Amino acid sequence: MKNSILVFFFFVGFSCTNTQVIPVTSFDIMNEINSFKGEKVVILNVWALWCVPCVEEFPMIVELDESNKDLEVIFVSADFEDELQQVKSFLEKQGVEPYSYIKKEKDELFIEGINESWTGSLPFIVVFSKNKGIIVDSWEGKEPKSRFEVAINIALNS
Amino acid sequence: MRQFTIFLIFLSFSYGVELKIGSVMPKKELKLIDTEGKSINLNSIKGSEATLVVFSCNTCPWVIKWEDRYLEIAKNYTPKGVSMIAVNSNVSRFDGDDSLGKMKEHASKMNYNFIYAQDPNAELAHAFGATKTPHIYLFDKNDILVYRGAIDDNARDANKVTEPFLANALDALLSKKKIKKTTSKALGCSIKYN
Repeated sequence: MKNSILVFFFFVGFSCTNTQVIPVTSFDIMNEINSFKGEKVVILNVWALWCVPCVEEFPMIVELDESNKDLEVIFVSADFEDELQQVKSFLEKQGVEPYSYIKKEKDELFIEGINESWTGSLPFIVVFSKNKGIIVDSWEGKEPKSRFEVAINIALNS
Repeated sequence: MRQFTIFLIFLSFSYGVELKIGSVMPKKELKLIDTEGKSINLNSIKGSEATLVVFSCNTCPWVIKWEDRYLEIAKNYTPKGVSMIAVNSNVSRFDGDDSLGKMKEHASKMNYNFIYAQDPNAELAHAFGATKTPHIYLFDKNDILVYRGAIDDNARDANKVTEPFLANALDALLSKKKIKKTTSKALGCSIKYN
């Protein structure tokens, strides 16, 4: 998916500043994560506008993403698809561009497809290592920046 | 360093450990406070056929969307010997949106036809491994967990539900048939433990 998205933005020439919000399944997301194996640490963040802790920690995660060239943060909104416009506005305000994702799958399929141990509580974070692409940490709920930093450091070396 | 990393890899995942199917209801005597301010516990509110525990709260959008189903479940199954209780374990909001007063208001406004109670130190939620709202736990008359998870597969629209997980489990239990799907998953708001 990473390549097809890059091709898409090559052809539109990045002429628009709008954030594209792409509906995805868990399969799409896992493929996207896998495409960074050997290149970057990946943080998957499943969030929603209605989830207060998700919105509270969002700027901190964006900042981590922007300040670390070896890190790719993949945000997936769990809002309903008809709330796409609100999701898009929020992402634009947060500076997430040129694209991001929104879930288009039923809850149970999505949860199981992302991680069988996930109970469905939001926010949900998974940290994948740079070299092997394995999960080095994952958690449900809001956590301090320090937990992210520890996980990223481990992920950079595994 | 490598061993330390592996140690972290295997021990650092943070999920609630949900009560396993077949487990006995824990903390039956734990004090809960209902919306009238009265002390109750799960043992004191047990149903003759089943006990349904729903971890819930006042404001979670997923609770709000599923609340119409709360009322239907209570209306349809209470006469059949199923006791239903919604438990609020959002400790960090007990001084705000999830105070006992706000819970009483919410229950009245939504015409709750089941017990709604506060879990003072979230001990019940911890014991059940509940992580979100709503989070459903159904016990048979011997207090054995027979179903855990979601109400159904469509929070937003009761008319578009294709799998009424909980109603199916209740129907099977009450007719002494095997429950085909004993667990399910859905998204929900995290329980605010602290």
